[in-house]
This record gives sequence, structure tokens and C-alpha cells, in this order.
Amino acid sequence: MDVMNLGAGSGTYLDNNATTQIDPLVVEAMMPYLTTFFGNASSQHGFGVPVEKAIIRAREQVADFLGAEHPDEILFTSCATESDNTALWSALWSQKDRDEIVTSPVEHPAIMQTCDFLSSHGVTVNYVKVDAKGNIDPNEFESLLSDRTALASIMWANNETGDIYPVPRLAEIAASHGVMFHTDAVQAVAKIPVNLKETCINMLSFSGHKIHAPKGIGVLYVRRGTRFTPFMKGGHQERGRRAGTENVPYIVGLGVACELAKKNLGLIGTKIRALRDKLQEGLLKSIPECFVTGDVNNRTDNTLNIAFKYVEGEAILLMLNEYGIAASSGSACSSESLEPSHVMRAMGVPFSAAHGTIRFSLSRFNTEEDVETTLKVLPGIIEKLRSYSPYWNLNKPKVANIDHEFDADSKEVRA
Amino acid sequence: MWDYSDKVKDHFLHPRNARVIEDANGVGDVGSIICGDALRLMLKIDPVTEVIEDAAFQTYGCGSAIASSSALTEMLKGKSLKEAQKITNQDIVDYLGGLPPEKMHCSVMGREALDAAVANYHGKSYEQSHDDGELVCHCFGVGVNKIKKAVWENHLTTVEEVTNYTKAGGGCASCHMRIEEIIDEVWMDLKKCGVPRPGTVPTPIPSMTIQSSTAAAAAVTEAIDSKTKSSPIYDDVVKILKEISDGLKSDGSGVELDAISGSDVIVKLSGAASGGMMKDMTLSFIQKKLSEGTGRQIRALTR
Repeated sequence: MDVMNLGAGSGTYLDNNATTQIDPLVVEAMMPYLTTFFGNASSQHGFGVPVEKAIIRAREQVADFLGAEHPDEILFTSCATESDNTALWSALWSQKDRDEIVTSPVEHPAIMQTCDFLSSHGVTVNYVKVDAKGNIDPNEFESLLSDRTALASIMWANNETGDIYPVPRLAEIAASHGVMFHTDAVQAVAKIPVNLKETCINMLSFSGHKIHAPKGIGVLYVRRGTRFTPFMKGGHQERGRRAGTENVPYIVGLGVACELAKKNLGLIGTKIRALRDKLQEGLLKSIPECFVTGDVNNRTDNTLNIAFKYVEGEAILLMLNEYGIAASSGSACSSESLEPSHVMRAMGVPFSAAHGTIRFSLSRFNTEEDVETTLKVLPGIIEKLRSYSPYWNLNKPKVANIDHEFDADSKEVRA
Repeated sequence: MWDYSDKVKDHFLHPRNARVIEDANGVGDVGSIICGDALRLMLKIDPVTEVIEDAAFQTYGCGSAIASSSALTEMLKGKSLKEAQKITNQDIVDYLGGLPPEKMHCSVMGREALDAAVANYHGKSYEQSHDDGELVCHCFGVGVNKIKKAVWENHLTTVEEVTNYTKAGGGCASCHMRIEEIIDEVWMDLKKCGVPRPGTVPTPIPSMTIQSSTAAAAAVTEAIDSKTKSSPIYDDVVKILKEISDGLKSDGSGVELDAISGSDVIVKLSGAASGGMMKDMTLSFIQKKLSEGTGRQIRALTR
């Protein structure tokens, strides 16, 4: 196999909620730990000691980035999915008298599917509703908590819409009922300020590859005093809370990425937001029958999820890809599943639009030019696809002899 | 991102016949916005010759749905209605140089639109022409008949494949058990036609020894002319047909050699295998086996 010719992506990358490019400074920091410093951090000799020091340093960088009170509250994991799984299982295992979970229907599959599994094994899962903008009502959240609740887990920001949830407030409510609180903050960290010591959050998950570190490294924050049972067993690493030899180069990379993210947090509300807003306004102005999903006034500054009615998302992505533009879609066809995104369905977005949602997500590496390229080509793409669509009849001749009309709002299925 | 063939990409980026035929006299509407793809196939058919003079489409859906529609219209133009109805979803896939497994349902949708358009041409409504049978998949509204057809025509063996071809089972998954039952039912019939189910070891047939096949060949030879007997592939053909015939015996069907003319092998079918859909199925199977066994492109037919 020719590894240099696998069709590597190049062009305009607007899919940073899926993954981000690794910051060259992160790569640079990692390199010595792939070559010179290969020792095992647990070894009591000259190869192990500098490696252990590097992990201590990274743990401090992550703790500082999250505003954690103590570095020992940071556990390194393989990814945020592992962190999420750990939080759910640990809460249930360490509180034997509690067998209920409170969560939302717009969580990442790492939470959703684990909850599905748990609910088929005797755990009661209560879902707090979301409204059409994706927001949840803290009062309803409160009403679902009881002395049977082992864990309340609500994401901090949504991956598809960017919607921000009032997590510090919800954590306070949970604490006042004596309920443990976890948040999946994968899409929130590095996009909104996080200062854990000022909140009541017990556990928080995030992953490196969304903040310009590599894939394969995640974090679970566990506040001191939180009851905890390890998910991975078999070693003393991470103070017995996550077994397995430390992934040193990636831990070092994540530490640096956190430091850079803290330094660059100012860009998100200024440069990145301006680019996102320009993209949004440009698209809304030039394309009819489209709308922004989620809560326009309460979402992460890098995310734009926009629904184009009567066209299908995968087709849009394929055409964008022809122009070297990378984004993602909540449509059924662009994923391995056959149904549109659970987030869009939970928010009650009609099918005529849910299949045509496109998510643009920016990072500090994006430029004015990226936005301009997209604004130049996307209106033409939507117009072209609508000209093929039987649901879009503007300026089209009519077929004379038909006994059926395609109606975008109907629930019919003609299989 | 899906890995599409160049032909799929070409038909998606430059679709042929993506337009409206105002005076179409055969219009087939299938799919829905809920499922994420919908297709209107428009045909202009000459009422005297029944030749498809023009074909066009309107499609809402992903890249492969648009490409499949485009390919179908190209395949249909100039064909007689009779020829057109022989097109299978696999023909559409072949025309496009393959589709990813998860996208096979796009080709099935094309085939269904063709059925609907022909029904419409004959003055039948979609409901009249369409018998879904028992509703199996409630999420995508797929009936038992569509699943059976897809399994039969494409020799599907797993629920995952059925989902790829029909979408059935792609939602809540509660119908997976039923789909497995349907797959088993269809394979009972397929096996009777001599199609071995992949992944299962075929039951050895004790009578398939050299001696018995010679004896059977002797019995068959009596009624066969000398031109057939002198064919260079005669011995091979007799042997292969004997094996197939043994396989068909379980439901009382049979196959006998009638004559060989060049690369045409004429056979006599009896029992269930001699009529309807089973006949075409059996003949194409025999043709495949003969071609493999003789190393030549054989055409199997009946008188």
C-alpha cells in the first residue's frame, strides 16, 4: 500500500467538532517521548524518572486548564468515551443503594448507548426533555432527581448544534439533592471558560483530539471526595483508578494542548466567532428555505448547524468535497445508520430539514478565505440538488398525468 | 465519506436525465422524506410499440440515490417495456461499477420506481399494484414481500445485508428476529433450486459417485441425437446436469439434457423448477454451472 497516496484530505477543513488538526507545537513536545524518553513511568531507574516527571507536569497543565483544585483529580484515559463509560459505571458500582440515572436525549452515543445497555440490565434511565432549540428546563431536571439517582450526566455543549447547557447550575441542583453529577465536556472545553473549583461538578470528561492534541488520549476529572470505582482494573497507575501503562507521549501532548488552549481561549469569542457569524449570515442571505438549528444565542462560538430543506445532507457533503470543503451532516445517509441524527429528532426538527443538516465547525486554524470559499460554492450546490429534488417544485414544469404528489410534510412511506 | 466508484461519482456530479417530462405516461413515485430518499421516475412510452422513448428522474437523496436514478434512466431509454422489466437492482449496481454494501437500497429503490412507473402506465395506482404483505419493519415501513424479493434476487444471508438492500431493520432493530425467519424461509426455496447457501457446508449426496452418474448418462443418451453426442463438451455437460438433477430431486424437480448445439445447451425441466420465476432461476443457475464446468460461455435454454 502506498501510504503517501491514500487520498489524504486537503483544502478547507470546517469539521473541527469531529476532530482537529494537531498543533505543530504539540507534535514537537511529544517527539522526545517517542524516541529518547521511552521508559516506563513506574520504573525506579534513570529511564523511568524523567518520564514520570513529564506526566506530573502534564497533569498540572490539564488541572490548570480546567481550573481543578488539585492535579490528582485528573485521570488520563484513552478517550472521552472511556471517560464517559467510567463515570456511569463508577457511579453505579460505588453507590449500591442507587440504581437510577438522569440524562438528556441529546447526549453523545458514549453516554446514550451505555445508558441503553444499562437500562436493559435493570438500571432506570430518566431523560430530561429538550425543547425545539435544544434547551432543557432546570426545574424539570430537578424533578427527576431522587435518592435512587446514582448519577446525573448532562453534556456541557452539544456536538451537533453547539448548544451550551447550564451545567454549573445543574451541578448545583444535583449537589443540593445529594446526587453525583457528571458532564461530557468534549465540545465545551477550549470553547467556553471552565473553572471546576467554582462548580459542584463531580466528574467531567473530555478528549485530546478536539483541542489540537492527538486521538487516543482523554481525561476524566474526578473531584476529590467523589466515590469512585475503577473501570479498568489491573494496575496501580493513576493512583489505582485507571490501570494500564501510561500513554506518555500523548499525555505530554495533551498537557501542551491544554496550555495552548488556555492561551488561545480569547480567539474563540473574537476571531473564530466572527468567521462563524460571517458564514452564517452569508448562507442565510443567499440560500432560501434554510435555518439554523439549536439556540442561536446560546451555543459555542465555533459551531454552525444549518438545515437546508428538501435536499439530503450526504449529497451536499459529496459536492462540497469536490471543492475540497470538509463539513459533516446529521443526515441518515452520511452515517452508518439509516436514521437522521438523534439530536435533530429530540429537538423535533422536521424530517424535511433533519436530513439536510450540515454542521460547520471552525477552529483557530481557519481563515477568512475558508469562509469565503464556502460562501461562494454552497448556494450553487443547494440550488443544483434542489433542481433534482421532487420536493422542490419552484420554477419547474409539472408532470401532467400523476396520481400522487410528493409532500415534504407528509408521514407517508412508499417503500 | 463513502468510497464510491468513479462511475457513481460521475453520475452523481453529472446526472443524466435529471428533469421533468411533462407528458410522461408512466410515472413511478417511491420513497419518502422520512426515510431520507425519494424518487420520481418519468417514462414516455410509445403506446403502439411499447418502446421507452424517453426516461427522466427527480430524486431526493444521497449521492448513490441520485447516481442510481441517473443510471436507471440511461439503461431504460430505447428499451421495450418487456426488456425494461427484466432489469434487476443488481443490473443497476453493475452499470455503476458497484455500490458500497450499505447503499444497495438505492439500487432497489430504482427497481421499485420502475415497477411503479410501469403500473402507472397500465393505469394502476400505486396501491393497486403494490402488495407489501405483512408489515415487518415499522420504522421504515417495509413489508415481507419486499424483503423476500431482495433475499431471493440477491441471495442475501444476514439481517445486515437485508438492511443494506431494503432498510428493513435499520431503525429500532425489534424486527431482526422476524427478518432472520424470512431469510430462512426464502433459502428453503433457493436450496430447492440448487443454490447452495453460502457459509453452510452442503450436505453430501451419497448417490453422487462416478458409477451412478455413468449409469444415468447411459439412460439419457438413448434419446439424444448423434450431433449432440459428438459435441466436445458432451461428457462434461451430462455429468454436470446429473449433479444438478440430483440436487433438485428433493422437491420433485428434475433436469435432463435435450440437445447440444455449439455452445447452446438445450435442457428439459420438470417439476417445480419448470415454471415461472423458478424456471428462469434454474436456467441461469444451470448456465452458470455449465460455463464453470466446461470453461466455455454456455447458454442454457429450453425448447
